Amino acid sequence: MKQHVVAARGVALHRHHRSAAARLLDRVERRYLALPIGTAIAVIWANTAPEPYFVVAQSLAFFVNDVAMTLFVGLITQEIVEATMPGGALHSWRRWSLPLLAAAGGIAGSTSFYLAFVQGRHEAVLLAGWPIACAIDIAAAYYVLKAILPRSGALPFVLLLAIATDLFGMLVIAPRYPTLGMPGRGVGLILAALGIAGAMRALKVRTFWPYLVICGSLSWLALYREGLHPAFALVPIVPFLPHEPRPLDLLADAPDDDAVHHFEHEWNSVVQSVLLLFGLVNGGVLIRGYDTGTWALLLAGLVGRPIGILVTVRAAVAAGWRLPRRLAWRQLVVAALAASSGFTFALFFATGILSTGPMLAQLKIGALATAAGSLLAIGAARLFRIGRFSR
Amino acid sequence: MRRIALVLLAGFLAIAPASSAVEGFPDRADSLKFAVLGDNGTGEKPQYDVGRQMAVAHMTFPFDTVIMLGDNMYGRQESQDFINKFERPYATLLQAGVLFYATLGNHDNQNNRFYKGFNMGGERYFTFVKKNVRFFVLDSNQLDPMQQAWLDAALQRSAEDWRICYFHHPIYSDGGRHGSDVSLRVALEPLLVKYRVNVVFSGHDHVYERLKPQKGITYFVSGSGGELRKGDVRPSAMTAAYFDQDQSFMLVEVAGDDLFFEAVARTGTMVDSGVIHRGRADSGETR
Repeated sequence: MKQHVVAARGVALHRHHRSAAARLLDRVERRYLALPIGTAIAVIWANTAPEPYFVVAQSLAFFVNDVAMTLFVGLITQEIVEATMPGGALHSWRRWSLPLLAAAGGIAGSTSFYLAFVQGRHEAVLLAGWPIACAIDIAAAYYVLKAILPRSGALPFVLLLAIATDLFGMLVIAPRYPTLGMPGRGVGLILAALGIAGAMRALKVRTFWPYLVICGSLSWLALYREGLHPAFALVPIVPFLPHEPRPLDLLADAPDDDAVHHFEHEWNSVVQSVLLLFGLVNGGVLIRGYDTGTWALLLAGLVGRPIGILVTVRAAVAAGWRLPRRLAWRQLVVAALAASSGFTFALFFATGILSTGPMLAQLKIGALATAAGSLLAIGAARLFRIGRFSR
Repeated sequence: MRRIALVLLAGFLAIAPASSAVEGFPDRADSLKFAVLGDNGTGEKPQYDVGRQMAVAHMTFPFDTVIMLGDNMYGRQESQDFINKFERPYATLLQAGVLFYATLGNHDNQNNRFYKGFNMGGERYFTFVKKNVRFFVLDSNQLDPMQQAWLDAALQRSAEDWRICYFHHPIYSDGGRHGSDVSLRVALEPLLVKYRVNVVFSGHDHVYERLKPQKGITYFVSGSGGELRKGDVRPSAMTAAYFDQDQSFMLVEVAGDDLFFEAVARTGTMVDSGVIHRGRADSGETR
């Protein structure tokens, strides 16, 4: 009898622990914490046992950055395609125009601050890193604004701005991929990938696996051979997948009502694992490796971008544009600061255009340090007594 | 006239080495003699002092090559700067026909590889041969796959007795500000070991340091040819010798299977010297 009680308690305890672990994993996934966790592990590892860390990181780098990250870029593409199609939240040009202008201002602000700082320090070799200064961490901006300004118009505004900015960054970094590419040998492959994807679409193939395995692989090879960043392999393929328009809540779960969204559900977990690995492989930097590039990225993200955004919006409003509903100037300042973190995308852009060396190391530190922008946004909201701090 | 002669004599004594810095070299007719200079291009007095000291050394140790370890130019890098930060400080050597072969540091404009005086042939990374020594010059700002593949092939092809590699960022260093670049080391060292590179020179840390041989390779940091980070070396178990109190440069003679070296301070004082025997992992002893 006593044994039964002990066994029952054991099962209950096991269930309790299991559900706690499941809840923790769910929380990590929902809040996009996999990358920060991977990065934290990497930073500790690199600064305590650098040589073993870099041996592991460099041996995994190609698989993670150039192969596995294809799924991350594919997922982001999938979300953007659905949000921008007819009926999607981003379809209307009116919703896009002001955030798009703000994105242009943010890019101009961050880039000019970055370039001016690097030029001022006479380290011309760092000029090539300017696209990294443009990156905005969509997840960080999303969660910070959702936490501190949940009911303002800041959230959709910043998401649109971040998407436009990162799209621009991706277009810039794709051809800068440092590789031993074999120019001219990928065109046939990409045409084949697009042709097969088009045929599957015409045949109403609704499961994503053939698109991913056949077309994705062909596209990956094509980009790699052409010397383009192969992590973008799914970008031309994703639009062929059957889609449903979706609301602008990019990082929330989409309704599980068809094969396409099923694909998104499955991918999300895989992508979180990829991001964990991405943080682990790329986040490990020696703290003392900071240098001019680190300060340049910090200045560009935390000062240049918010100033660029605010000045551009101010000019647009003066020219007749209207601020979105529930977005006053104080909220806009907080929103601009929430967009100052580059983190995930800055790391991705950095590894996309730079190879191993001190240049990459110092810019990676800068990319990680821009996460401080989230704290600045919280501080500003507190100072202005808005959103969660209004009481 | 007498006053002028006295001034000239005083000037010569001021720059002449306190102890003859070049006495310990074998000075063989068939040997390769070269100087090593890093982080030099400030255009300020210490750089000119080092330049004068190199000219003095050249009189008794006629090297025909100088390898530059990067940060060949700081600050503005326009045409006048090439004169003030390179041509004037080393005018005596340039007039004597000494050739400078540069690598790019983090402060160098990448376009400086096209400057004739740096003999880079417009390349970020390249190789050249002097007598029985092949030099491999890398751009350590970033070690892209193309450069790695090039180095692999170039090392494989080389048939010379000595393989000497130089680049700006040290993969072994006890410099307090920068120190060893471990990520670069993990990417580069397997190739250096595989193809039995003998010696590696780097700069970036503004000090002089000689490391104990690491996996059979002797590493030097010589990054105080103009800049100086006084007292910056944090000696460790891998430190063989160091000097971080004044600007310095190096003199090297490769004679047969031996590489003789000296580190010379801005005042002309020899601060380190030794010999490295080719093919011996325990070499690098002080003379």
